[in-house]
Amino acid sequence: MGGLLSYFSGLFGSKERRILILGLDGAGKTTILYRLQVGEVVTTIPTIGFNVETVIYKNLKFQVWDLGGQTSIRPYWRCYYSNTDAIIYVVDSMDRDRIGISKQELVSMLEEDELKKAILVVFANKQDIEGAMTVTEVANALGLSSLKNRKYQIFKTSAIKGEGLDEAMDWLSNSILQQK
Amino acid sequence: MYTLLSGMWKYMFKKDEYFVLILGLDNAGKTTYLEQTKTKFTKNYKAMNPAKITTTVGLNIGKIDIGPVRLNFWDLGGQEELQSLWDKYYAESHGVIYIIDSSDRERVDESKEAFEKMIQSEVLLGVPLLVLANKQDLKNCMSTSEVKQAFHDSAQKIGKRDCKVLGVSALNGDGVHEGIEWLKQCVERNNICRPPTVKEIT
Repeated sequence: MGGLLSYFSGLFGSKERRILILGLDGAGKTTILYRLQVGEVVTTIPTIGFNVETVIYKNLKFQVWDLGGQTSIRPYWRCYYSNTDAIIYVVDSMDRDRIGISKQELVSMLEEDELKKAILVVFANKQDIEGAMTVTEVANALGLSSLKNRKYQIFKTSAIKGEGLDEAMDWLSNSILQQK
Repeated sequence: MYTLLSGMWKYMFKKDEYFVLILGLDNAGKTTYLEQTKTKFTKNYKAMNPAKITTTVGLNIGKIDIGPVRLNFWDLGGQEELQSLWDKYYAESHGVIYIIDSSDRERVDESKEAFEKMIQSEVLLGVPLLVLANKQDLKNCMSTSEVKQAFHDSAQKIGKRDCKVLGVSALNGDGVHEGIEWLKQCVERNNICRPPTVKEIT
C-alpha cells in the first residue's frame, strides 16, 4: 500500500531536492534565497538560526535552507547536512580579508561524509561592486583546485541585481536531474 | 591459505586508477566529449542532453572502467582566465586530452598558444597526449590534416612522449572509442614513469 502511495505521489508531485545555502556572514545568503523565491530584493537582518523556503524552478521543487553564517553558529551547519543534494556556497567577492576563513569553512565542510555526493556550486556574489574578485581569484582563494573528485561550478552573481542566479539554477537543476 | 585467497581476491578486484585531464579552449567541446565518453564506456549511462551543457567554470568529473583499468577524467573550464587553473592538476595527471574546435578557424592560433604553454610544462613531461580535432561533423570545418598543419610547429615542443592526433565528433561519438582505447594503452605503458594509484573496488 505504501509503495502504491509513493508511486502516485511520485506521479503527481515531484520529490523535493534539498539545497543548503552556506557561507560566511554578510555574504548575501538570505538575499539570494529570497531572490530565488520571490524574485525580489528583501531587506534582511543577520540570520540567527535559519530560513527555509520552497523554491520551484522548471518543475523541480527545491527545499532551500539558508543557514546563519556568523562564527558562533557555523558549528551548527553540520546538523543540516544529511540528505543534501547540493550546496550553494556563497562568497562575498569584495571581502578579501576573510576569504581565507571562508576557505577553511568550505574545506572542513566538504570533508563531511554526509556531503560526499552533494553537488557544489560556488556563488562569487556581489559582482555588482567594482573591484570584486574574479572567478579565478575566488577559485584560487578557496583552493578549489584541490577538489579532485567532486564536480563543481562557480557563478558570478549579484543577488541585488539578480544577475547570474538564473544560469546557476539552470545548471544546478540539470546537474541534480542527471545525478539521480 | 588465507593469504593466497585474499591475494587472489585483491588481484581480481583491484583497479589501476589513472587520471586524465581534458583541456582546450572554451566551447571546444570538452564537456560534450566527456559525456560521450561516459556514454560509450558505461552501461546504462544516461547522458546529459548536449543542448543543456553550458560553459564550465569549475570542474566536471567522470570515470570509466576498461577491464582492470579505471580512467578518471577531469574536465576543466577553458576560458582564458580559467586556464591558469590547469597547472594545478598537472602533477597528478597520467594523460592529457587536448581538444580543438576545428570549425573555429579564427581561434586556432589562440588554441595553439594555450597548447604550447601546456606541453612545455615540466610537470607534464612524458605524459601521453591525445590531440582531438573536434566537431568533424560540421561542414566547412578544418580536416584533421589541416589541424595538424596548423599545429605543425608545436611538434618539436611535444618532446618524447606518446602523441596522437585524431579527428572526432563529440556530438555524435565518432572517434571517441578509438581515442580512449589508445590513451588507455599509453597510460598503461607509461606506468613506470607515472604509476597508477591502486584501488580495491568492491
